Amino acid sequence: MAASNTRTSTLMLRSAGRPPWYTPDGQNLPAYMIGIAGASASGKTSVARRIVESMDVPWVVIVSMDSFYRQLTPEESRQAFLNNHDFDHPSSYDYGTALAALEHLKQGLATQVSQYDFSTHSPSSESQYVYGASVIIVEGIFALYDPKLLAMMDVKIFVDTDSDVCLARRIRRDVAERGRDPLGVLQQYDRFVKPAFDGFVRPTMNNADIIIPRGLDNEVAIGLMIQHVQRRLDAHNAVLMRPALVRRFRDLPGAADSLLVLPQSNQVRAMRTILCDRTTPRADFIFYADRLSRLVIEHGLAQLALAEKAVETPTGCAYRGHAIAPAVTGVTVLRAGGVMEKALHSVVRPAHYGKILIVADPTSHEPRLHYARLPPAIAQHQVLLMDATITSGASAMMAIRICLDHGVPEQNIVFISLLATLQGPRAIHAAFPAVKIVVAILDPHVAGDDLLIRTGYGIFGDRYFGTEE
Amino acid sequence: MSLSEQASGHPRLHQLPQTHQLKALMTIIRDRATKRGDFVFYSDRVIRLLVEEGLNYLPVVAKEVTTPMEVPFQGVAFEGRICGVSIMRAGESMEQGLRDVCTSVRIGKVLIQRDERTAQPKLYYSKLPRDISDRWVLLLDPMLATGGSASKCVEVLLEAGVREERILFINLICAPEGALAMLNKFSKMQIVTAEIDEGIDDRKFILPGLGDFGDRYFGTED
Repeated sequence: MAASNTRTSTLMLRSAGRPPWYTPDGQNLPAYMIGIAGASASGKTSVARRIVESMDVPWVVIVSMDSFYRQLTPEESRQAFLNNHDFDHPSSYDYGTALAALEHLKQGLATQVSQYDFSTHSPSSESQYVYGASVIIVEGIFALYDPKLLAMMDVKIFVDTDSDVCLARRIRRDVAERGRDPLGVLQQYDRFVKPAFDGFVRPTMNNADIIIPRGLDNEVAIGLMIQHVQRRLDAHNAVLMRPALVRRFRDLPGAADSLLVLPQSNQVRAMRTILCDRTTPRADFIFYADRLSRLVIEHGLAQLALAEKAVETPTGCAYRGHAIAPAVTGVTVLRAGGVMEKALHSVVRPAHYGKILIVADPTSHEPRLHYARLPPAIAQHQVLLMDATITSGASAMMAIRICLDHGVPEQNIVFISLLATLQGPRAIHAAFPAVKIVVAILDPHVAGDDLLIRTGYGIFGDRYFGTEE
Repeated sequence: MSLSEQASGHPRLHQLPQTHQLKALMTIIRDRATKRGDFVFYSDRVIRLLVEEGLNYLPVVAKEVTTPMEVPFQGVAFEGRICGVSIMRAGESMEQGLRDVCTSVRIGKVLIQRDERTAQPKLYYSKLPRDISDRWVLLLDPMLATGGSASKCVEVLLEAGVREERILFINLICAPEGALAMLNKFSKMQIVTAEIDEGIDDRKFILPGLGDFGDRYFGTED
């Protein structure tokens, strides 16, 4: 039996912002999957952690095969409580569930990874939400057992630690950390652990690409392996999103088909003038940014197709109208997009809110995802994605990709902005043609490769929040 | 051509864009089963759209500004001072919508009720900004049925020196006969509305309408 009931079997690790994980066409690149098998207490988890620490990958998830123990039959369950069930047998796992979850993760989709409750010997009713790992490490004694799982893995590692060392570690761990008595541990080892290793685990060594003798102590082998993986990942990340989008979409004629611009009424033009004026005091900037936000959000909501609905008025007449959208989620791209949340809040109730923090890398200006939190039922909602400005479209595409990865159909997304270039919406439209883009102001004059909108309002967030240099 | 079609084709009657969204809002406020909290919330939302639309008929002048990127931008600035005038009591429900867009706007109030002896609308009270004759006026009353009170109010404004072409009558729902009567009587004023209905019944209620707006908004139904 592998673990106590308190052990977390899925571990998400984040060290920095996540660079784009998709192509400029908006298609997800598959996550890199590493399988690590080996005897119980051979040091699989330690090797996994060492890999994570040594590699320059910001978002990594370590999934333990322990998550995928199958539901026991009533008789098996009874035996399990008597410590008579063989959890070290390959039939103890639900490979179908493992395959489904790992396929999702590999495609870059938000995934609920099942959890196993060791106190009841059954799959827990709770699952763990995992999203955004560019590298997935699957570890467990049977990580290299199922052919379908093996087919998904980019590199397969077997940690071949001497069985004496494994047994010594196991006794120490189970006695010290789990309060078991040494004799019991030895009995279990003889009865289940050793036969399972010899009969089923050791043969999976043949499925490995790399065998690491002595586990964590083998720094040369681990170092070589990390180099190999790092090279493969660097090839993934070689494409820079912004320059690619600029090259492709800057000089095309016309506006994107999916782009809708607010009618340029007198009021909109006057508000634009106030926002673009460098001498506008901050209080006025905030007031008119809020007012324009509300107009563009109303315009965005007006794009939703709504079901027909007939009602009776107090005069006893019938009126044939439409029903309001049943569920609307506003997702703001922080920091500037957060400003528009207030406007949505004043027109839709109750709306749900998601937040995404995307920050431009200070040197490359490439978007980096730092944080995403979306309502669980977002896949069933109409989604209004909000950000103040669209320039290259790189950050908007990342935000849209996050919604798609959480199961939102493309046609349910309306992207709303105050100010946009022509090329940004073109890039978004090319990747995600069903996403509607609604903007208050269009500015075709983008000069230079820095993509700053010369006749815009400057850095929106700085002027709204008062954080100018 | 029906009265409704005549009204909606009139060059001085401006209707909000008839989107699904607007229809959904109107469906809620017209539904007799709608609770007051929702009635107020969704009415306020339509009122905000009406005020924004109404302000678009005000003039602007060219203005050049310098952007934070140190580049000149040819824009426009608001031209002309405005005020609101609400017809008590229902028109007062629209004042906040105006204030949300035009902070510290001056607002005049007029009380007009039907004189039971003559069956004509009669002015009981009016308090208007002193310099109203220099201003554009957004006349606020949510329902335009026969246009009797609103016409009376326009007369009060004209007597106060307001120029007729500077009067914008903002309402949520209008009956075509009332709207056409007003536009014929006052040849320069404009009307901004959310929807044009079918007509009025013998009790002067708009059909299909939404009942008594003031009662539903202020919670004074029987």
